[in-house]
Amino acid sequence: MIRAPAFLSGLGRFYIGLVLVFLYLPLVIMAAMSFNVSPFYQLPFEWTTEWYVALSDNDGLIAATLNSLEIAVMTTIIATILGTAASLALFRYDFAGKRVLQALLFPPIAIPWLISGTAMLIFFFGTGVGRGLHAILLGHVALALPYVIIVVSARLATFSKDLEDAAYSLGASAWQTTRKVTLPCIAPGIVAGGLFAFAVSFDQFVVSYFLATPGQTTLPVEIYAAIRKGFTPEINAVSTIIIVFSMSLMFVVSRFFRFGGDQ
Amino acid sequence: MNKTTAILAGLGLLLTASSAMAKDLHVLNWKGYGADEPFATKAFEEMTGDKVVNDFFNSEQEMLTKLRTNPGLYDVVMINAAFMQQALGEKLVQPIDTATIQNYGDLDEAQAQSKMLNVDGKTYGVPWTWGLTTIAVNDKAFDTAPTSIKEMWKEDHKGRVTIRDDAVEAIQLGALATGQSINDVKDMDAVKQSLSELLPNIRTFWSSENDWNQMVASNQIDLGTYWSGSAGRAKTKFNLPVSLAVPEEGAVGWLDSFAIPVGSTNVEGAEKFINYMISPEFYKEWDETVGAPVSASKRAVAALPEDSFNRKVMGAPEVAERVQFQEPITDQQREDYLKVWQSLKVGAN
Amino acid sequence: MTGKRRDSGLVKAMPLLLPAYAWLTLAIFLPLSAMVYFSLLTSMSPSGQSATLTLGNYATFFSDPLYATLLVRSLELGLIVTLVCVLIGFPAAYVLAKIFKGRAREAIFLLVILPFWSNSLVRVFSWSMVLREGGILDTALNAILPFKVTFDLMYSYPAVIIGLVHSYLPYMVLTCYLSLQAIDDALIEAARSLGASRFTTLRRVIAPLALPGVLAGSALIFIPVVGSFMEPRILGGHGGTLYGTVIEDQFTAVYNWPLGAALSFILLAVVLVILLVSAPVLRKAA
Repeated sequence: MIRAPAFLSGLGRFYIGLVLVFLYLPLVIMAAMSFNVSPFYQLPFEWTTEWYVALSDNDGLIAATLNSLEIAVMTTIIATILGTAASLALFRYDFAGKRVLQALLFPPIAIPWLISGTAMLIFFFGTGVGRGLHAILLGHVALALPYVIIVVSARLATFSKDLEDAAYSLGASAWQTTRKVTLPCIAPGIVAGGLFAFAVSFDQFVVSYFLATPGQTTLPVEIYAAIRKGFTPEINAVSTIIIVFSMSLMFVVSRFFRFGGDQ
Repeated sequence: MNKTTAILAGLGLLLTASSAMAKDLHVLNWKGYGADEPFATKAFEEMTGDKVVNDFFNSEQEMLTKLRTNPGLYDVVMINAAFMQQALGEKLVQPIDTATIQNYGDLDEAQAQSKMLNVDGKTYGVPWTWGLTTIAVNDKAFDTAPTSIKEMWKEDHKGRVTIRDDAVEAIQLGALATGQSINDVKDMDAVKQSLSELLPNIRTFWSSENDWNQMVASNQIDLGTYWSGSAGRAKTKFNLPVSLAVPEEGAVGWLDSFAIPVGSTNVEGAEKFINYMISPEFYKEWDETVGAPVSASKRAVAALPEDSFNRKVMGAPEVAERVQFQEPITDQQREDYLKVWQSLKVGAN
Repeated sequence: MTGKRRDSGLVKAMPLLLPAYAWLTLAIFLPLSAMVYFSLLTSMSPSGQSATLTLGNYATFFSDPLYATLLVRSLELGLIVTLVCVLIGFPAAYVLAKIFKGRAREAIFLLVILPFWSNSLVRVFSWSMVLREGGILDTALNAILPFKVTFDLMYSYPAVIIGLVHSYLPYMVLTCYLSLQAIDDALIEAARSLGASRFTTLRRVIAPLALPGVLAGSALIFIPVVGSFMEPRILGGHGGTLYGTVIEDQFTAVYNWPLGAALSFILLAVVLVILLVSAPVLRKAA
């Protein structure tokens, strides 16, 4: 650990505090408005839990939330595994066309999701894949993959190939080297990639919007449709529950698993 | 071999079972626009046993896209009459046997016979509601409602006006303000000029009812264009200080209708649903508990109290005189309008 | 010799690469290829009879200065947002990686990511609460300041920047953190003990090593911001017309997919050129 003068480290802590305030300001408001009577975010604030009661009766919103969670978790698992494997290949091996493969990661990010969504709709419709949760999963994994590969590759760029060579020279197999040497070193990158994948899927509304069918829909699609007419703080309520739930979940998990990646 | 037969037999059983049971009825409409009101779906399900499955669109283009890419999925679709020709041209909707819809006779004659909904002697759309795109005001900013559309251009409302971010609506507003027909804009330069003078007054563009209502609730706007049904909902359902005005320059009228998409698997249910949607029972409850535009059914409107907005104001002869009903717009016109509108918006900052 | 080594590299890489790229091909590249084809059609007539191949949609971009103006405006926005994210995010990542440790670091790391998991539309709506006149910032400022100020950022360019920085800042903190955290502290201490000032250490030791993270973060931010349409529409008021909103209009307001597709491929080309040109320059600068 760098020994910084106390005032510098104090300043650093203060700075992080400010950044967190910036990041959380809208979330705190979102949560507060889920307890406010006015559906139009009117002040003064009047306490109510009616939106949570209304939410508990809203089967459509609850089902959509569960669908979203399910798809986000599956997307995270699939995209993290496939993406990490691809990053390792791009890091380890040298071959013709490697740069092209790396450049190909950008179109899915650069093309507005609106166009990707429309393109998927037409293509899936034309090829018989159809619409529904399976199509949404197919699309989400594809959208999340570039993020995972870019993030994991950024971490791999700081990883020394010599470590792998050392392991090989000591007689370790490729799999042993990967599992015992490489993966632990880039674990923070993999975890970050997975978190990215989750966020990309969980907050994805454009692509889901085109691929959803009635009854097979996700939370952002429901929210998007709801703001058109009669947006209610039920949406804030469900978002608040999700944030509180994921916060608790992550802190429980972090007790058993080190995210920060101390070396 | 055995296994396949068993599966086939099982499937057959399932199929017969489900056809004997209640059917699903897939409805495509704007969200929060009558057909998905819980009281309505509940009443309809109790009446017929069919289960209503709602799906929504956020623009007419999206509605058409959903019909194109989901043949056979939807049983009922809500179509703005001005878009019916396009849906028909693409063979997305099928003729309706109006004899099966008992309440059809209650409809306003002119609307039921509209050329936009009837082609070659066949009826493709059943008129449901009509309303206005006109101006609505924040009651806190006005003692008496303005009588001229020019109010929006006044200096006092700088930064306190809102209009919808929609090229067609914007051009039609400009046409009204410059005394032109909304369906035949002859002097586009005057429209451009008028809109570019309006833009400095604009606080922001609205795209959903929620935008409008939030801005009124936080007292950020004085007036703006709004839909008559939405203004009614803002007042009835949300108790917001919103009043609708029909200015002397006129207002844009639209007619919404129900159609049955090609390939519907539950035409019978669709006919029953449309019949229920134009019934006085449904309309009275919708308007009184939620807020609605004007029903196309004369009997349904007559079921409202005499002093209700949709009967008194919207039914007044002087209002009827001022309304210019939207006619179909070609794709080319629509693209031209969009181009004009985008350029105006970009020039504004 | 090298050719052979490269070929064997591909053979070894294949099993690891194939699943990811096959998935991308099926769900992204093939659909986008279909879109490329549409961008070359005169129209998307549903029955498909009258459509012919044309470059007209690409020509439209050059025929009207509107599109170029908007593209420049969007690129500018992308640049500003990316820069602000680097300026705020890099120091935050540095503090996180080098000052905090153990549980506290993990907790903050998670806290930075969590806002991602809330719905972006809801977040943007919440900002309107903060930024408008009579909103939270306005009220707070007037409570502190002795004189009356009217603070109304809502529906303005700064509001768009704030909303976008808020959405994308975690990308920068994360990617910078990943590079910074991998830098061996001993290296920094060595530089310091050899008499390098804090600033020199930052410039000569830390910055070059952290560059991959900064670059990855910048790409992940710059690219989507250039095509963004939701935040500008909701927060930008009548100045919220950008390249992304014009593309969106082609799909939602009019049925002109060919033009919408052509406009987005032009965007893609411009973004790729910028990435290709800037990557070596930045690397050299470091």
